[in-house]
Amino acid sequence: MTNHWNDLKHADVLMIIGANPAENHPISFKWILKALEKGGKLISVDPRFTRTSQMANVYGQLRSGTDIAFIGGMINYILENELFHKEYVAAYTNASYIVEDTYSFNDGMFSGYDKGKRSYDKTKWAFKKDKEGKTLKDPTLKDPKCVFQLMKKHYSRYDVDTVIGVTGTAKETYLDICKTYASTGEVGKAGTILYAMGGTQHTVGTQNIRSYAILQLLLGNIGISGGGVNALRGESNVQGSTDFGLLYDNVPGYMQVPTTAESDYTYQGFLDRITPKEGYWINKPKFYTSMMKSFYGDNATKSNEFGYHYLPKLSAGKNYSFMRLFDAMHRKELEGLLLFGSNPAVGGPNAGKEIESLSNLKWMVAVDLFETETSSFWQKEAGADPASIQTEVIFLPASGSFEKEGSVTNSGRWMQYRWQAIKPKGESKADLEIVHMLARRLKEMYKNSSNPADMPMKAMTWDYGESDHPDIDLVCREINGYDMKTKQQVKKFGDLKDDGSTCSGNWIYCGFYPENENLSKRRDSTDEGMSNFLNWSYAWPANRRILYNRASADLNGKAWSKTRVGIEWNAAEGKWKGNDVPDFVVDKGPKDPTFNDPFIMMAGGKGALFASINEGPIPEHYEPYENPMSNSFSSVQLNPAVQFGEEEMNAQGDVSKYPIVATTYRLSEHWQSGAMTRSQEWLAELVPHMFVEISEELAKEKGINNKDKIIVSSARGEINAYAMVTKRFKPYKLKDKTVHHIGMPWHFGYKGIVTGGSANRLTPHIGDANSTIPEYKAFLCDVRRAK
Amino acid sequence: MAETIKLVDVTKCDGCRACMVSCKNWNDLPSEMEDFHGSYQSHEKITANTWNVLTFNEQERKDGGLDWLFRHSSCLHCTEAACEKACPENAISHTEFGSVVVDYDTCVGCGYCVQACGFDAINLATYVDKNGKEFRKAQKCTQCTDRLEEGLQPACATACHTGAIVYGDKDELLSSAEDRLAQIKERYPNANIYNPQGISGTNTVYILADKPKTYGLPENPKVALSQIVWKDYAQPIGKMMLGATTMAVIGSFIATNLNKKNHSSEGDQSHE
Amino acid sequence: MNKSGNQKTVKRFNLGFRISHWVNAAAFFVLYISALPMYTEFFDWLYPVFGGPAGARLVHRIAAVAFMLPLPIMIIFDWKGFSNWAKNIFSWKKHDLQFFPQFMKEFFGMKAKVPKQDFFNAGEKINSWLMIITTIMLICSGLIMWFPQYFPYGIIMWAYPMHSIGLGLAAAVAIGHIYMSLVTAKPSMRGIIKGDVSEEYAKDHHGRWYDELQAAEPKKKKHA
Repeated sequence: MTNHWNDLKHADVLMIIGANPAENHPISFKWILKALEKGGKLISVDPRFTRTSQMANVYGQLRSGTDIAFIGGMINYILENELFHKEYVAAYTNASYIVEDTYSFNDGMFSGYDKGKRSYDKTKWAFKKDKEGKTLKDPTLKDPKCVFQLMKKHYSRYDVDTVIGVTGTAKETYLDICKTYASTGEVGKAGTILYAMGGTQHTVGTQNIRSYAILQLLLGNIGISGGGVNALRGESNVQGSTDFGLLYDNVPGYMQVPTTAESDYTYQGFLDRITPKEGYWINKPKFYTSMMKSFYGDNATKSNEFGYHYLPKLSAGKNYSFMRLFDAMHRKELEGLLLFGSNPAVGGPNAGKEIESLSNLKWMVAVDLFETETSSFWQKEAGADPASIQTEVIFLPASGSFEKEGSVTNSGRWMQYRWQAIKPKGESKADLEIVHMLARRLKEMYKNSSNPADMPMKAMTWDYGESDHPDIDLVCREINGYDMKTKQQVKKFGDLKDDGSTCSGNWIYCGFYPENENLSKRRDSTDEGMSNFLNWSYAWPANRRILYNRASADLNGKAWSKTRVGIEWNAAEGKWKGNDVPDFVVDKGPKDPTFNDPFIMMAGGKGALFASINEGPIPEHYEPYENPMSNSFSSVQLNPAVQFGEEEMNAQGDVSKYPIVATTYRLSEHWQSGAMTRSQEWLAELVPHMFVEISEELAKEKGINNKDKIIVSSARGEINAYAMVTKRFKPYKLKDKTVHHIGMPWHFGYKGIVTGGSANRLTPHIGDANSTIPEYKAFLCDVRRAK
Repeated sequence: MAETIKLVDVTKCDGCRACMVSCKNWNDLPSEMEDFHGSYQSHEKITANTWNVLTFNEQERKDGGLDWLFRHSSCLHCTEAACEKACPENAISHTEFGSVVVDYDTCVGCGYCVQACGFDAINLATYVDKNGKEFRKAQKCTQCTDRLEEGLQPACATACHTGAIVYGDKDELLSSAEDRLAQIKERYPNANIYNPQGISGTNTVYILADKPKTYGLPENPKVALSQIVWKDYAQPIGKMMLGATTMAVIGSFIATNLNKKNHSSEGDQSHE
Repeated sequence: MNKSGNQKTVKRFNLGFRISHWVNAAAFFVLYISALPMYTEFFDWLYPVFGGPAGARLVHRIAAVAFMLPLPIMIIFDWKGFSNWAKNIFSWKKHDLQFFPQFMKEFFGMKAKVPKQDFFNAGEKINSWLMIITTIMLICSGLIMWFPQYFPYGIIMWAYPMHSIGLGLAAAVAIGHIYMSLVTAKPSMRGIIKGDVSEEYAKDHHGRWYDELQAAEPKKKKHA
């Protein structure tokens, strides 16, 4: 979230697309309803009518996987009708940037494509620079090569009729949504976009979110209270775990993992590669070195490149994301697997194949609250033959969130400390304890080794106490960072050094533990203004509640709206002041040439309408991997930058055999793979059966009655479920045909109090071109009555 | 003490069912896995162990749109409660909070209240005593009277994050309900406040998005004439008649004996 | 009257009629006792006797089935007695109406002149009618309460007061009936137990029936 939960109440219009917060983030409605009570409007855009849709003023149906068409049409509507926030767009975004002549777009393809690698040469889309290396701009936005004009031209193809022919949205509704949401382009108004996995879990997931960002920048909705692009995280601490380097190519604080490429042979070479020339990221070496000091302590010295060579390196060009790991497992390239609260047998794409792959492991350690489908994949219940599976499975009981102490970072980036409520049951242990015990034993085993390969383990500091129970306060202090000599806590990430004199486990959290107060433990619910609650917990970075809040003020540093004050330039005091911690250099005044560069993390300080990611600088609609129709916008069917994995893991279904569009989702009552909720009676009884939602029209066509047992099949497999025939699903009326769709929760499996077919037996093993998040949300299937 | 009520604004409900879970949690009620009902609704209706059920109701709007109506359904705590009147053991009564509760020591599990309730809100639970013998008690939402006594809110109200269920001062909440009604009329033209006067109002008042019928609620429930006949006339008279008959018999016995002594010479005439 | 033991008797009730009567009486008694604790809290102490409310309910239901048997028993095993009874209770004459004021005098031990009565005297006729009405009320309402799932709400709700009123009436009738048989008309007990009564009793209490018997005697013999 650029903003935060409480801030939702300040929105004039909220558009929820690819999310269902009423069901999956119910508490959000505490704030959303406040916005509605003040006259705010709520728009719900979803393939199906959800509990969120019921709460909305307008519900727009869109076919799964057509967000870019939907948003592209809105962008076109806004540009055509000049409804964008003109000053904001001209001054705060890169709309005025002139793009190199090598950029082109033709029939769905950008320039610079390499068919063999399925990737683009992004230098073809660079901005034009003058002799001094400065980006050329046209503040009038008239130059045909400026971002604004290129974008306008690009989206002029997204006219209403073409769009609704792809998305299946009713025309009247679509225009209503365009009009309502575009109204937030008016100076002083705020619109917010809430999204979740409905936006990301597509082969064009990243571009979907990019399209939301473009829409928001055009309407001047970023940086202001009640605005923002707000990712509703799927788990209570997903934000925290991503912040701490959950992804294979990340270390804590969204920095890169070194590779075996030649550029990364030395620490300096690596830093040169990952550090941009402009923007706040020029400080990356300070953050990186401080992180290595937290890893290796005194073993990280200038002479050994701060322990750079202890870091594991990724094989250059190799993808280690979730699906690729299972591909490797399938090829028997992986020996062991350590799973922490992860249940791929239910949650993974093409779960049937992933379960098969698990049996290629020599060993697996599963850490979980309950025995899951994954940790029992070898059992008879799973349909396996235990005798033929050689994998050694070790199960470590973990304690639940109430049984342990630590912090959780919510979607609004608030790091909130929690205390232990009850003692863990039986032998169960907190994750931190399990890792601590493991690390200490490993270090003990390697203690006397002289093998250079074991050096990383030997060099690693692990000073969180001498017992099996780690001192969590020491962990917290190290995450914040301290001066290596004085051991004084570092007050802010600006104080971190690249000479090895400071350490910080995660630079974006640097500042949460200054001196002797862990600020994430704060619980002061006084609202000092605009419900930012600055003394409640700690928000990264630097306790800023709304990112890019410099953009909440106009070109003179005054708030765009008196009712929506973020920060303002106080000329008398010579600094930025307001209801939030400035996300800007606090004393940077109007005389500074970068005074109107609010997007401090971006090179040039401007919001990126035009940004080079893998499939192009401007989001373009491509059909999902499995789709019911040919692409209306170009002859390119699938995202050209999508990578294919192991072929055998990735069967593709055709519309002739599988004519129905399907999507998966979660329910209020169950959580993720259901390991926890299907093992809890009071939650299990609320949704005790696996069901598939189908429209009355499809039910009639297939001779299915409500409550019938049905079989859903895709190119990957089949599952049994109950049919839930509902008015909330309606067939899509597309350009030249009517297409049916169904939807199903993915919570079920064969373990727990209530069981049922796993939806992910059906989903494809393919993912986004940037993040490789699987395309769970749009695939093809067929349904029939079970005999 | 000022009068208090529970106000349920179904138009604020987002159907999360935290009310159901918090109720089970606080009252320590067992789960009941029911068969698939063909909708999101987990339980067909309120049961002895599931004191509140969120109902899900799909209907097309006149403007072509769709409404998916949710209702937190539980005991309404009627001011003139049919269950209370029906109870032959006087085991059901009103508390100082206006909630209607069952005295489990007095309840004999006859189930008359179950039949009498026009809202299907009270049911019989079967338990097994320590000798393995089954026994029954009437069970229903207590409006968390035990929590109210401690100055807390009902568990469902505490769990409800949207403010669809609130508990507080009666006059305040009723007037806020009127304001809210005016606000939602555009979206829900049939919206109404459900606080049936035929039973002198209820201690759980609803703001409904549509006519009571849509939610399976009686339009205008009244205290049944049959109940009045029974509890206010038949039973007292019946008891009186039992007494009178008994008295007559005793009187006859005594009088006969007395008269026998007085008219011993005429004894033969007696139709003994 | 103390010589009644060795007096000449006349047949009054056949076995079928008597069984029917006693089944009815016993069932009613059990129903009454098992219902009392619920009817009035004064009798709550009766619950433990039945092993708790559940036991009382079970006993009540078993007795309820028994309570429905007398009519079929009577019809099957003593059609004559039944038709006689049915004929009798529909016959209302002057002597029937004159019965009541005299009966009241007699009931309280005063001197009374009761007119000659039929096989069933007017009191017994009234008793029969009350019994028929209350039995119908109790059985119908009871069945509705037992199987509420088959009946609409309004009907179920009326079943409760009906059962209650039925009980009140039936109990009053029963107590009166029992008292009469035990205290004021003791010899009648022999009639319903052994089936015959003394000629004396028949003459005194059911004069018209006795007269009929006398008139029919020779004829009977002739035919015998």
